[in-house]
Amino acid sequence: MINIDLKKFEEYFTEYTELRMQENRNIRLTMVNGDMMGNNRSSNSGISARVYKDGSWGFASNADTSDDAIIKVIRSATENANFLSTRENLEKAELPKTNAIDSKDFSTAKPRKSQKEMIDFLNIMDTHIIKEFPKLSSRTIVISNLDMEKKLFTSDGAESYSMTPRTILYVVMTVMNDDQPFELYEVYGGLGQFEDTFDKPEVLFPKLKEQYEHLINKSEGVYAEAGMHDCIMDADLAGILAHEAIGHTTEGDIVKGGSVAGDYLGAKVASDLVTLVDFAHTALDEQCPVPVYVDDEGTKAEDAIIIEDGVLKKFMHNKETALHFDHEVTGNARAYGFYDEPLVRMRNTAILPGKSKLEDMIASIDNGYYLMKSSNGEADSTSEFMFGVVMGYEIKNGKLGKAIKDTTISGVAFDMLKTITMISDDMAWSCGGMCGKKQGIPVGMGGPAIKCKVNIGGK
Amino acid sequence: MKNKEILLYAQETLLKAGAQKTKCSLTKKEKNELNVASGEISLFRTTFDTNMSLTAIVDDKKGTISLNKLDKENIDATAKQIIDMAISSKSDEANDIAEMQPAKEFHKEPIKPDLDKMYDRLVEFMDFAKKEHPKTIIEEINFDFTSTESYFVNSNGVDYKTTKGIYSFVVMFTSKDGKKTSSFNYAAHVSKSLDTPFSKCGNIDKLLGESSEQLDTKHIHEKFVGDVIITPECLDSFVGSLTNYLYDYSLITNTSVFKDKLGKQIASTSFNLHSKPVSSDIAASYYITGDGYEAQDSTVIEDGILNTFLLGLYGAKKTGKDRAVNQGGCWEIASGDTALEEIIKSTKKGIVLKRFSGGNPSDNGDFSGVAKNSYYVEDGEIQFPITETMVSGNLVEMMMNIKQISEERINSGYHNYPWIKFDGLTVSGK
Repeated sequence: MINIDLKKFEEYFTEYTELRMQENRNIRLTMVNGDMMGNNRSSNSGISARVYKDGSWGFASNADTSDDAIIKVIRSATENANFLSTRENLEKAELPKTNAIDSKDFSTAKPRKSQKEMIDFLNIMDTHIIKEFPKLSSRTIVISNLDMEKKLFTSDGAESYSMTPRTILYVVMTVMNDDQPFELYEVYGGLGQFEDTFDKPEVLFPKLKEQYEHLINKSEGVYAEAGMHDCIMDADLAGILAHEAIGHTTEGDIVKGGSVAGDYLGAKVASDLVTLVDFAHTALDEQCPVPVYVDDEGTKAEDAIIIEDGVLKKFMHNKETALHFDHEVTGNARAYGFYDEPLVRMRNTAILPGKSKLEDMIASIDNGYYLMKSSNGEADSTSEFMFGVVMGYEIKNGKLGKAIKDTTISGVAFDMLKTITMISDDMAWSCGGMCGKKQGIPVGMGGPAIKCKVNIGGK
Repeated sequence: MKNKEILLYAQETLLKAGAQKTKCSLTKKEKNELNVASGEISLFRTTFDTNMSLTAIVDDKKGTISLNKLDKENIDATAKQIIDMAISSKSDEANDIAEMQPAKEFHKEPIKPDLDKMYDRLVEFMDFAKKEHPKTIIEEINFDFTSTESYFVNSNGVDYKTTKGIYSFVVMFTSKDGKKTSSFNYAAHVSKSLDTPFSKCGNIDKLLGESSEQLDTKHIHEKFVGDVIITPECLDSFVGSLTNYLYDYSLITNTSVFKDKLGKQIASTSFNLHSKPVSSDIAASYYITGDGYEAQDSTVIEDGILNTFLLGLYGAKKTGKDRAVNQGGCWEIASGDTALEEIIKSTKKGIVLKRFSGGNPSDNGDFSGVAKNSYYVEDGEIQFPITETMVSGNLVEMMMNIKQISEERINSGYHNYPWIKFDGLTVSGK
């Protein structure tokens, strides 16, 4: 645990300064067809300082966390801010003052499992997969854990400590059909260290069976028909839609950089059914996958209600973008490593549940698709998005038909959201997301199933 | 202890703790970075880090830890932990380390950044962009100089040292005019010097100019099978997807579409793909592979024939195939014999694909995605920038359908690519 007193370095602050000590610890175990292809751990820790002067930022970091090194880092960041401010003369106003004080530790209270116990867990999973799913030509199981521990002190008086772990299990299954490989992966787990996330392997067995059955269906599946279709996007896709296509376009720095969302504040951008929130730490009375209580600028993290009943209400901000737009700060400034500066980042972005039942939604479509799982996704400043779809089914006359092969979907989010006519009354979080924006960072994405019109890129 | 001494101490500690084979590396990195955000030079960042990666093999069982706290006490504790991890793992004869090679040092200038010149070049670029491309917002620039000093040793006596530094410039931009917004685009360039203004590097000026053209896009209201001319900036995502089939994971899991294609035709005869990690042609070079072998340049695909997989030591032992002489990257595609202008003129109906936002290709090579910042071509002329247009095809089939390769190439410092025209891809508008 980080136990250094950062406040004692306050005397070296000459401008607005953030001082952050951080350690990221990773475990990654990779079993491929029963072989341990990777058996790795890592630990990366250090100190960083960020200094603001007249609109210019200076940043410095060092792995050395001795008192002398910390003082040197503060001075170096201050010199960097001076270097820029004397040349740029931006003469901006002071940043909003925030001084949240908080401490949150999501470490397990259980006895820690050894590497051997985790490898044994993988062995049990692997043995089960071989026994139960004989048609598989290849299987990969990965345990990936990230413990992110941060301590922050700012010249505004903010003080925070957090230990936010995430443990994910990836299972990749491959089957051959007509000499062609077909693959389907699934991600399990979320907030917590291994001990809190994966108690017994048997709990996952029914989910593995579902994954296998979907894969077999996909290997015998058909190509989706290219063009606009009525679709049900299940939670996984609704989550990536919320994050990629809407979330990114409403990040304060992206809006400042020209995102189309900048023109839509206060305007109707979606069906009345749509409410979309970037949750700080708690959603619908449950802990979010990536809880943030105080951001890396020392701001208390608040929920950002981005779209409410179809109207674009808010952007996500750090101190600088809040100042620029004269909005309230939202606590969205986050950094991945000790060597990274905080950027405007999402936390847990989700479309809220509606009132429809999934079966009724499927029954309402004569000819369309039920899209269940995405691989990757990207969105543009125009809100045009693209998501890879790796699992889905045809809908024919209100019933699920054949599975479809991998495809992509695309559209313009602020147009597509207006085509939403039904939203299911449940929701699910996808917890394995790493958002890339200069730095990768864990995020939560969630949603219900939504009925909409979307462009499918089939054959 | 100094860096090399720390590394040797860590190796010695691992061997004493019970390692039968070791692989150890230490990299000391200093980065100086200038950032532009929303058109303003906003951040100057200096970071120092020293990272060590230690691998031990015990009875063919392997464990690896990387760390950046390099005091003796932490190294001692970490060495014991690695041995425990290795013992806990599963025996696999493919776990091995590089054999003895002569000790060698690699050095590439510059080692220190010219900070004032970095700032001046950045200001010059910002002024240029503002003057020449007033509707284009420089959304973000990450411009850094990174110097690295790295050591690699193993218990077979491998002993390498590399010192190098490089400037890296990545610019992301969007155009805005009233309520019209263009798709974002980006350009990247790495170099050993700051001799050339960024506006004259690669295709950056042209891409900035096109951004404002893309404020007014049009739909293609049809679906057709036609020519797709992929630009050097866009080609890298396809090269990445193509070469993914040649690495350890695809071949070990037997899912690679090219698993039985060594020595066989996998692309049109005009296609030659080189990996040039040690050539001076590519600025982002490397000298040592992750396994601890001195890297060599190679021709991966020659006249369309697959010459080599890109297997590392583990993958080679696991599959019984040859280890590659490098780990790929630093790609160069040989130029063709047709001028770009002629390629456009000879296109009856198709698009120029400048950026591709696509899903990961399937194991069988099927792909589809959105054509970004791209243009419709008809009767030998570029007609207009397009929107909401999807491109789909199969990567394996596409490589056999190369129609033309341009004489011209763009060297970004990461790779050196021409324009390539592919036949038979499906283009579908809204």
